[in-house]
Formats: sequence, structure tokens, C-alpha cells
Amino acid sequence: MTWIQTLEYRANLYVGLFSIFSGIFIEYLIWKQIFIARGTELIRGFTFNELVAFIFLSMIVGQLKSSWITSIEMIDAIRNGGLNKYLIRPISFYTYHLMLFIGQNSLFYMAYFTLIAAFPFIFPGLAFTTNFQIFGFMSALLLAVYLSYNMYYMMVCVSFWFHEVRALVIAYNVANIILSGQIIPLRLFPEVYLKIIGFTPLPFLVDFPVSIATGQLAPELWTSKFMIGLCWCFFTWAMGKTMYYFGIKQYGGYGA
Amino acid sequence: MEAMVRRYLNLWAAFFANSLTRDMEYKANLIGGIIVDIIFYSVQYFFFSIIYSYVNTLGSFTREDVMVFLIITFISDTVYMFLFSGNLFPLNRLVVQGDLDFILLKPINSQFLVSFRFVKSYAIFSLIILILMLINQTSLHSIDIGPMNYLFFSISFFCGLIIWYSLDFLIACLTFWFKNFTVGSWLSHEILKFSARPDSIYIGFTRKLLFSLIPMALVSSVPARMLLYGLNLKLLMYQIAISLSFLLFTFWVWKRGLLRYESASS
Repeated sequence: MTWIQTLEYRANLYVGLFSIFSGIFIEYLIWKQIFIARGTELIRGFTFNELVAFIFLSMIVGQLKSSWITSIEMIDAIRNGGLNKYLIRPISFYTYHLMLFIGQNSLFYMAYFTLIAAFPFIFPGLAFTTNFQIFGFMSALLLAVYLSYNMYYMMVCVSFWFHEVRALVIAYNVANIILSGQIIPLRLFPEVYLKIIGFTPLPFLVDFPVSIATGQLAPELWTSKFMIGLCWCFFTWAMGKTMYYFGIKQYGGYGA
Repeated sequence: MEAMVRRYLNLWAAFFANSLTRDMEYKANLIGGIIVDIIFYSVQYFFFSIIYSYVNTLGSFTREDVMVFLIITFISDTVYMFLFSGNLFPLNRLVVQGDLDFILLKPINSQFLVSFRFVKSYAIFSLIILILMLINQTSLHSIDIGPMNYLFFSISFFCGLIIWYSLDFLIACLTFWFKNFTVGSWLSHEILKFSARPDSIYIGFTRKLLFSLIPMALVSSVPARMLLYGLNLKLLMYQIAISLSFLLFTFWVWKRGLLRYESASS
């Protein structure tokens, strides 16, 4: 149902594509000037073309994993008592909105996968050079989307106690654009920030799938990284479930 | 003319008082808005910190120039939030649901009411902090920045704001033609991000485009240049001409849009 609705609103897709292409264009101009000014071929192991390919793919992944619109709808449901209708449905609030999120993003998935399919032709030799990388990227992308949804879900559950948490979601979304490596690869960050970010699930949202696709992450590290990512998925899922369990006891059902 | 200006200023003061009362009732919204602003500013600052850890200048903008540019961008954003952000976003809903009728019935200019009815009062706090930051940053700057620079900056800043408003308003007005244009605010946000980077990164055709048809370089970069490097009369006159042209264009588009408006049956 959501998929059909999404197909009706193609303008979202056009603006989404414009967002990616304009974003990569600005980044391209900035990094071009930096490479020219420095007069070097490499910055932290990236050639200019590798860096542009990396940022381009990061922007696509960044949009695919973002579920802030769904989150705002979920927060409104809790605030306004709209959650009542989900309580009588034979599907949980969590699963129902996960499905809605996937449905709403379906058009993006189709369009962006076309872009990704064209990637080896746009940036030959810079990404998806082996089937193993394609498979690894798809798996890491699934992990990233699921982890991202869980993180948003945790913030949504905060609204059981503090009704107005939309600002929290928006603030997280704004910070996420930089801190997950969506417009600047994480390895270009200063070491001290990298260490702090390394203790959070943020590197698994964008940097991990893109590093696999572009060959920046050695294959022998994939398994351990996937295990850590899955642990984060489990942790955030359990946290969300626990918060919902206690939060629903606070829920009045009559709206804020 | 003077009486009309005074009347509209009084009206806006009444809108502001009303909005402030509403905002004070929802303190969580107020605090949330301030937090989002702080995070947004921090993220932008962090972005340029990383960029400038690899290079000393971006075109003609040094690191300290970019800090001034950034604060000006934040001030533009905050003033825009304060005056317009609560008004243009709901225009789509007003047109789709036919609620624009209630605005058209009022005995004042409908574009004024649609554009200024709600004020995001929490932005005042951010604005005060940002202005103090700008004064501090310019006083520490290696270039001597005098009061005349501030005067030309103020004119240029005002023109930049008109351009921003005009572009956002024109995009919002597309709802008259597309009937339901919910992506309008997203589209304008995506176009406006060109103004959040110094104009020195844009070259060739892009630069020409961002100084003319989509004049995003005139929103923050040109005011920053006026403040840092002093008056560039040709550039300032050009900016005034562009901002007036865009503003007049909004009047025309609004009138054309209203002709297409079909009230509650839209």
C-alpha cells in the first residue's frame, strides 16, 4: 500500500536525486580546490577520484538509511494518542513502522540501485570491482538500514516520557550527516574524533558499507566488523524493546 | 505611504507578541529549537574545521575569513527562521485544504499575511549569541574591519535575506500549479545549501548561475565580502538589483497563483 502511495509521489524522488547530485557537486568543487592547493595526489590514502566516488556512494547510503520522517510520524502517534490504533492490530508498532519505512523508501531504493548499478561505469575500477564486494555491500547496507531504524526507534520511545522529542530526532539527523561520514569520509577526521566515533554505532551506518564497496576495508576485516555491527543491531533492538515495554506503561492513550 | 508602513509594522508587532505567547506555552519546543540550532552550527563548524585541516585557503577565503562567513550564514539562517520559516512551509496545506480563503478575506495584503503571520521567537536567543560572536570574530580578525564595513554589510545582508525569502516563496507558490507540492520545503533547502559554502569554490558556469538565475552566492558570501573586504560598489548595486527583481517577481507570481486558486475544492 505504502509502495503504491510512494509511486504517486515521484517528486520526492526527483528532489532526492537533486539532493545527491547537488551535494556531490559541492563536495567535488571543495575537494578539487583542496587537491590543487596541496599539490598532492593522495590525502589519507584517497586519490581525488576515489574520494569523490566514496562521497557519492556515502550520500546514497545516507539517504537510504535515514528514517527520520517515519520517526516523526511515530512520535506524533505517541503524543496525540494515535498509537491506540496500533495496539489493536496483530502487528507490533515497531514492525508496522519498519514495514512502512521500507515501503516509503521503496522508490528511492529502486532509483538509487539504478545509480549504484551504473557506478562501475561512472567510476570504473573504484567500486564494486568484484561480486564479493557487491554481496558485502548489500549485506552491510541491510545492516545499516536496520541499525539506523533501531536508533531512531529508541529516540521515538523517549517520547513516552518526554512528549516533545521531535527536536531530538532532527538534531540527531543533522549531526548524523557529518558524524556518520555522509559528506566527509570518517578517515579524514582528526584522530581524536575517530576514536570517540569508534565507540559508537555511527561508523556502521555509512562508512562500513561504502568502505566495503570501494575496497577501502580489507576483506579479512569484514567478518569481525559484521559481528560488531550485528552486536550493535541487537543492542539497539533490545534497548528499543525495553524502552517500549516500560514506555507503554506510561502511555495515557488520550494524547498530550 | 508612511501610514501604511506604520500600520504594517504595528501588525507585525502584534504577530510577534502573539507568536511569543504561543511559543512560551510550549517551552519544550523552544528549548528543542535552540538545541537543534546549536547542533546545526556545530556540525557546520566541524565540517569546515576538517576542510581547513587540509588547506589554508579556499579561493580567497582563509580560515578566519570562513569563520566570519560561517557566522554570517548562521545569522542569515536564524533571521530567516525568525521571520519566515513558520509561514512558507504551511502554504501548501493552506492551498490544498482551501484555508487560504481565511487569509484572502482579511483587509490586508495577502502576501504579507502569508509571509509574516507566525514568528519563531526562540530564534532571538540564537540571534543575540551569533551577533556577539560576529562582533568578537571581526574584532580578532587580522584585517581591520571598521563601522563602514558593517554598514555595507547590513545593506548586503538585507538584500541577501530578500533573495532567500523570494526564492523560498517562489518555490512554495508552485503549489498553485502542482496542487500538492509537499516537497517544496525540501527542494528550497537543497537549493539553499549552495549559499552555505563560500562563493570562492564556485567557478565557471556554476558561478555565473549562482550569481544570477539562482543567486545563492548573494545570500551569505557577498555580505561576508562586504564585511571583510569593504565596499564593492558594483557588486552591491548588482545585489540590490537582483534582490529587487526577485521580490517584484514574487508579487507577480503570487497574483498569478491566486488566479489559479480554486478555494476549498483545490
